[in-house]
Amino acid sequence: MVHALQRAGQRLRSGGSLISIRPHETQLPLVSIITPSRRIPVARLPTPGFDDRQSAADAALERVVAEGRFALAGIRNGRYRSLLDNPTQLRIYLELINPPRPRFPPGRRAHLLDLWRARPRGSRIEIAEWIVMTALRRL
Amino acid sequence: MEIRLIERFTTLKGRRILEVGCGDGRLTMQYAPTARQVLAIDPDRLSIEDALDEQAALRIPNVTFRVGSIERLPARGAPFDVALFSWSL
Repeated sequence: MVHALQRAGQRLRSGGSLISIRPHETQLPLVSIITPSRRIPVARLPTPGFDDRQSAADAALERVVAEGRFALAGIRNGRYRSLLDNPTQLRIYLELINPPRPRFPPGRRAHLLDLWRARPRGSRIEIAEWIVMTALRRL
Repeated sequence: MEIRLIERFTTLKGRRILEVGCGDGRLTMQYAPTARQVLAIDPDRLSIEDALDEQAALRIPNVTFRVGSIERLPARGAPFDVALFSWSL
C-alpha cells in the first residue's frame, strides 16, 4: 500500500490531491427491506479480514505523510443508500465491490429471502454504506 | 454521493485524474464527463472490459481504462491533478 501511495505521489503535481475512499471502520453495510410503510433492518454485513486491511491502509497513509511527501488535507465520513429491486440485484451489487467483499452472517441471507417472499407490494431492498474519505495534498 | 464528498476537498472539473481500483467504472462514469482527462486502472480484466462497454455506450471519450496496478504505472509522465483510490487501499 505504501508503494501504491508513493507511486501515485510521483505522478501527482505539487499541490495535487490524493483521495482515498474506504468503508467505515465500525459502521458495517446495512441491508434492509423497505416496504411502503416501514423499514425492516435485516443484517449488517461484516467483511472478512477487514480490520487488518484497514490498519494497513491507515499505516500507509500515515507513513507517506510522515515521509513528507503529503500533508493531511482532511477526513470526512459519509453515508449513501442504494435501492435495489430484488435479491438478485443485491447479489450482483455485492459482487461488484472490490475484494474483500462484505458477506451475510450465517442465516441472515435466508432470513432476507424469507422476509422478501412475504413482502408487501412495492417493497424494495436497501443497502446503506458508510464511507471514510481521506484527502492528502502533495507537497 | 461519493462525488459530492470528493468535491468537498477538490474539484474534479477540468482536472487530469488518475483513478486507482476503478472496477467496472461505476464512479469513473459519474465524474468523467466534466473532467479533462482520466486514466482509470484496475487489475481485474473483466471489470475493465465491463467499463469499456459502458464507456462506449455512454460515449465518454476522455477516459483511458487500463488493466494493471498503480505500482506498475511508469514513475514519469504527465502529472495528474487528482489521484483517487476508490476502495483500493
